Amino acid sequence: MQEATFLILTALANGSQHGYGIITDVQEISGDRIRLRPGTLYTALDRLRADELIGVDREEIVDGRLRRYYRLTPAGTKRLGAEAARLQAHATAALTRLNLVGGTAT
Amino acid sequence: MTDQEHLERGYRRLLVWYPRAFRQQNGQEILAVLMACARDGQRRPGLAQTADLIRNGLWMRLRPSVPRSAPTVRAAVRLMYAGAVVSTVNLIIVLAVLGDIKAHHAVFGHRLTAAQVSQLNTLFVTLFAVTGLVPVALWLWMARANGQGRNWARRLSTVLFGLATLELTHAAGGPGIVFGGTCSARSSPR
Repeated sequence: MQEATFLILTALANGSQHGYGIITDVQEISGDRIRLRPGTLYTALDRLRADELIGVDREEIVDGRLRRYYRLTPAGTKRLGAEAARLQAHATAALTRLNLVGGTAT
Repeated sequence: MTDQEHLERGYRRLLVWYPRAFRQQNGQEILAVLMACARDGQRRPGLAQTADLIRNGLWMRLRPSVPRSAPTVRAAVRLMYAGAVVSTVNLIIVLAVLGDIKAHHAVFGHRLTAAQVSQLNTLFVTLFAVTGLVPVALWLWMARANGQGRNWARRLSTVLFGLATLELTHAAGGPGIVFGGTCSARSSPR
């Protein structure tokens, strides 16, 4: 799973959000490192919808414009959980080994 | 026209890169996000934003819509795009080799007048540019149609592949017509 995809799913993990909300949330989660551009975001959203990892929660009209809110589907929740666990396992392994190396060196 | 209207018109123009169906479904929404991302007083889409929209719009048009459950078709589509790249390289080589053909005229074309030589050159450049673009266009067309899961495209690309194979074996011996670009450029200066 690409990092952008992972972060988009994470942004939707505790409730539905609209496009601009996802962009600002991803920026916050990534510590201002990743700013999704709208074109990239909507390509990702379109693919995630096709793969049924996300769905449309509701639609609103704000200032005469359509605003769609997206949410995770059960399959999306499962996928994100599995991916997060995998990344955590890798991160833990890396940190453990770094500590071991640090411990023997001093 | 206010700055905002001006910017919105610029974005609308860029959204034309997307397929019509996608634009109808998501155009308004993307436009709203683009406007929300804009700086105060911005009148024109930024360079990065523009590149991003064109890239994703083109991708939406060209990407295979075959489900992930059909990996062989997806692989075939990827190979067809690779074919388009190879054909483009071939075309560039052919056009580069045309310089050699000019030299060939200089050596062997001494009975031709300068006007005739330049006429021949124009003819060859046009001929090779056109015959070089045909396979590129065919690859792209087949990749797109197959990516959309069209059955006629499967049959047609099989026929074209057969023709290309025949052409390739033929091109090794003599001038090619469409697919043997590089070989034919070398073997048919006159």
